[in-house]
Amino acid sequence: MSQNDLPPHAHEHPRQKHGLIGKRLPLVDAWRKAAGQAVYTDDIHLPGELVGKILRSPHAHAKILSIDTSEALAMDGVHCTLIGKEAPNSFGVLPVSQDETALAVDKVIYLGENLAAVAADTEEIALEALSRIKVEYEVLDSFLDMEQSCREISDDLKIHSKVVGNTNIHKEVHQDFGDVDKAIAEAAWTKTQRFLMPGVTHAFTEPMCTLAWFNADERLTLWSAQQVPHYLQRALAKVLEMDMHRIRVVRPTVGGGFGGKSDPFPHEMVAALLSRKCKKPVRILFDREEVFYSNHGRHPSKIQMTLAIDKDHKISGMDLDCLIDGGASGSFGVVTTYYNGVLANGPYRLPNFRYHGRRVYSNRPPSGAMRGHGAVNTRFAYEVLIDEACADLGEDPRDFRLNNALEAYTKTINEFRITTNGVVECIERATEAAGWKDKFGKLPHGHGIGMACGFYISGSALPIHWDGIPQSTVHLKIDIDGGVTIHSLAAEIGQGSDTMLAQIVADVLGLPIHYCRVFSEDTDTAPLDLGSYSSRVTFMAGNAARMAAENMRKLLVAAAADLTGYPSEHFVMEEAQVVNATMPEVRVDYMEALKRAMKDCGALQSSGAYQAPPMGGKFKGAAAGLSPTYSFQSFVVELSVDPLTCKPKLHEIWAAHDCGRALNPLAVEAQIEGSVHMGLGQVLCESFDYNKANVLNPNFLDYRTLSPTETPAIHPILVETMDPEGPFGAKECGEGPLLPILPAVANALHDAIGIRFYEMPITADKIYRAVQKQKKLARRNLVQG
Amino acid sequence: MILPTFELHQPSSLAELRAICTGLETTGESYDFMAGGTDVLPNYKNRINARSHVISLSKLEGCNTIAVDRIGALASLTDIARHPELGRHYPGLVEAAGQVSSPPLRNMGTLGGNLLLDTRCYYLNQSEFWRASKGYCMKADGDVCLVVPQKEICYATYSGDLAPVLLTLDATLHFHDIHGQDEAAERSVPIREFYALDGIQRFHKAPGELLTAISIPENARQLRTGYHKLRVRDTIEYPVMGVAMALSSKAGKIERLELAVTGAEAIPIHYGDLGFTGRQIDDGCADELRAALCSRVQTYRNVPFPPSYRKAMAGEFAGDLLMKLGD
Repeated sequence: MSQNDLPPHAHEHPRQKHGLIGKRLPLVDAWRKAAGQAVYTDDIHLPGELVGKILRSPHAHAKILSIDTSEALAMDGVHCTLIGKEAPNSFGVLPVSQDETALAVDKVIYLGENLAAVAADTEEIALEALSRIKVEYEVLDSFLDMEQSCREISDDLKIHSKVVGNTNIHKEVHQDFGDVDKAIAEAAWTKTQRFLMPGVTHAFTEPMCTLAWFNADERLTLWSAQQVPHYLQRALAKVLEMDMHRIRVVRPTVGGGFGGKSDPFPHEMVAALLSRKCKKPVRILFDREEVFYSNHGRHPSKIQMTLAIDKDHKISGMDLDCLIDGGASGSFGVVTTYYNGVLANGPYRLPNFRYHGRRVYSNRPPSGAMRGHGAVNTRFAYEVLIDEACADLGEDPRDFRLNNALEAYTKTINEFRITTNGVVECIERATEAAGWKDKFGKLPHGHGIGMACGFYISGSALPIHWDGIPQSTVHLKIDIDGGVTIHSLAAEIGQGSDTMLAQIVADVLGLPIHYCRVFSEDTDTAPLDLGSYSSRVTFMAGNAARMAAENMRKLLVAAAADLTGYPSEHFVMEEAQVVNATMPEVRVDYMEALKRAMKDCGALQSSGAYQAPPMGGKFKGAAAGLSPTYSFQSFVVELSVDPLTCKPKLHEIWAAHDCGRALNPLAVEAQIEGSVHMGLGQVLCESFDYNKANVLNPNFLDYRTLSPTETPAIHPILVETMDPEGPFGAKECGEGPLLPILPAVANALHDAIGIRFYEMPITADKIYRAVQKQKKLARRNLVQG
Repeated sequence: MILPTFELHQPSSLAELRAICTGLETTGESYDFMAGGTDVLPNYKNRINARSHVISLSKLEGCNTIAVDRIGALASLTDIARHPELGRHYPGLVEAAGQVSSPPLRNMGTLGGNLLLDTRCYYLNQSEFWRASKGYCMKADGDVCLVVPQKEICYATYSGDLAPVLLTLDATLHFHDIHGQDEAAERSVPIREFYALDGIQRFHKAPGELLTAISIPENARQLRTGYHKLRVRDTIEYPVMGVAMALSSKAGKIERLELAVTGAEAIPIHYGDLGFTGRQIDDGCADELRAALCSRVQTYRNVPFPPSYRKAMAGEFAGDLLMKLGD
């Protein structure tokens, strides 16, 4: 796509070039990471710092009768201890679910929950001190499966006080659009199917780490591996009962988030409280097992879906019931409950839709947001049932999907505002590249090909805290050195947001990217940005950065106009010069223009902001899933099944994703590859396993993410729909590409061996069992003739 | 997770090692030998039977040489996997070595360490906190088995990859007795008599005995060898079922058959020929072998994959190996 195809933008000379947009650029922080020079939280060391350690509950559900820390406190090298009663203020990422505390207060609600803490000179002393804390419990009945949490119970067995009636249901949602019963009654094809998905976790490389320093001037600085520094700042203020402006949250380099570092966490409160109590810096670094207890990963789900297809092979209705396990706290769960339903409203036309969603509390580690938040498991069910309908109806799943694809610039039945939509191009290009027509249904037994589509938000249109202020703000500063300092609180978590900001600003100012330096770490210096979740950063912070850079360009152009005597509207910026677009020989060097612009005011500053426009319906829950634009995907998977072990082996994946505009194709491809890898883990081998209340596999040997050895060739296909509201046309690319891979694998397995799988993960033993059953049936049919 | 405190000794000669051991024994202190440390140290981090002294063997000289008939116990798994002569005579052995965990761990891990690998179990290979919350098992700090609840036998799973291959080759293990008068003397034990059925005791080895080498009889070179390993992923995995086969056949008839299994019971099991010597190798024979091995293998619910699937795979692997190795 040439720059002339870019959507028109206000305040810009038509000859302004955009040389950096669409360029394959290595991430700006890649060199430091590759050289081992990136500074993570655990690399920061402060004078006199102490080690904080947390005592964890050995019970899933129990009243705390007493906690005695005196023996621990008496030890040499122990500076202070902390129990829940000292900081009982509850917090949570959503204002409606303030149900977490720094440490358990009156009862423990899952095995591994934070119970008490110590700060000591060394880890050895801290561990010894924990072993000397005496706790008395009264063990309560625990809630370890979802149906059990839906039953009537007495008040003392409620995991939290705010529940639905006398149950442990946290949130219940009913939505009904059109006439689903009629659609099912009149369907040419319909099926009701149950699906089962265990929980999975983010498995980021860097474990949680927090360093807190409550200084003598009663200011708190907290360094923490976080996706959302702002919400953490809010929660700290509430728990520590401090003014927010006395709290500074710093986000050093983050070793992966995937949604797992987007809540404010109890251990962050604990580090701050310990530091305030003993007046020294306190570090809490989790081991991997503690990360598993902290979890906040994908909800275990039981899904029942009824799909109706009419005589014209159009999807006519869906009746969806989702029961999801929230574990012991609320987290993003109210949003998850809605997303499990509402995000089924694309990428196909769905004229009749009914949804019943329930999220329960249980005595498990908390569930929360994880890449593809709320959309992944329902998407699996939907795409598998579509494939099944196609098989029964004798229609090619590709053609079926094309025939049912949602149009661009339309509205869904639940009033999502659909703008750009590349799903048709995604389907066409992925299937074309894969050779779909020659392969589907035609490969030898044991070898198969399957496809699926996806649809995801590009930033939640409504912020969590409805303050009426912009969701993203970016500030720029240029001083005499000519470097452009970009201030933002959009959290770089490895996804490339710093690069995106630098690229947009450098592009607008016509400067090489090395002129830009991004400061996105610090709540003291950065203007508010709601952080890295809901795939919002490129769209929202990117728009804010573009506006800030355009405002900065106005100052430099005005200076050039001043120096040359030509009207400022004639100037553009390119190659570190301010150029008169109508008379290119009239040009001012960037540094010269800068000095002139600084003449009266010193360093230049500018600001840009983004707020989503109003949209959506008026019904209850209408805001859930609203986004200023949506991303679309279509993937094709080719695989084979080992004839001996039934282990699935992936051969190739063609992954077409509508990212609006690939600002940096290298980064977009990396996001697609990462999403595919992560989704493959969930569909093939990852699961949170339990033995009663114990997580059976809280380590990376037993919780299996895929290794590079099993990761097949992935062919990313970038579909560009030039979103008129996105920065230079861009939309999200970090979450949507996870969605189609799971059902595409299941559908390819069906093509390979003729068996449907409705439970994840689809492991070799399950396939083997199903194949044996299939053989037995075939033999019986043969005998019965 | 940090290691517990222990004193590390790094002797560079057998004489030095003998002195250290004797000194520790005199004062009644306990110790572990450690070769590559890839098995010992994770267990130590989990506080599983950690001792106050660790004697590293990494600086001992002369115990890592590889020849076709004799392999030093400190030979690295990488060196075994890449050894051309071993590969020519015993492809099953180098296949097994090449499938242990991942490249970095094969660089550290040794033949001896793999043969003496501790057993594994969901209820054992967990942190101190986990095991305390669940209730300790009889192998570490408790008195009851949590896999098969009783107090007699530990049902943890043996997970070494090399032992089944060496069982089929009828190898011999050579030990140095640190208490022996003669520094050059060694005790030799046929590998088929070495392992004992219990997840705690595991084998017949006295505390002061150090495995120095294994030898493979020359007549084993006439056998064709193979190893199949069941694992969830293709790397960083212990076997949850592994079948080794050594076979000689003539005109399609089995002359000699040796089968051994790992990743099932608490020790690797040698099954011999299961009565198949003299049989014609064909699909029917392979099916019968599948059924025969499958019915004998015992598996328990304490490692990944359901026991029934792991048993079934033992049979599948044996049948497949027979058809592949048969002439």
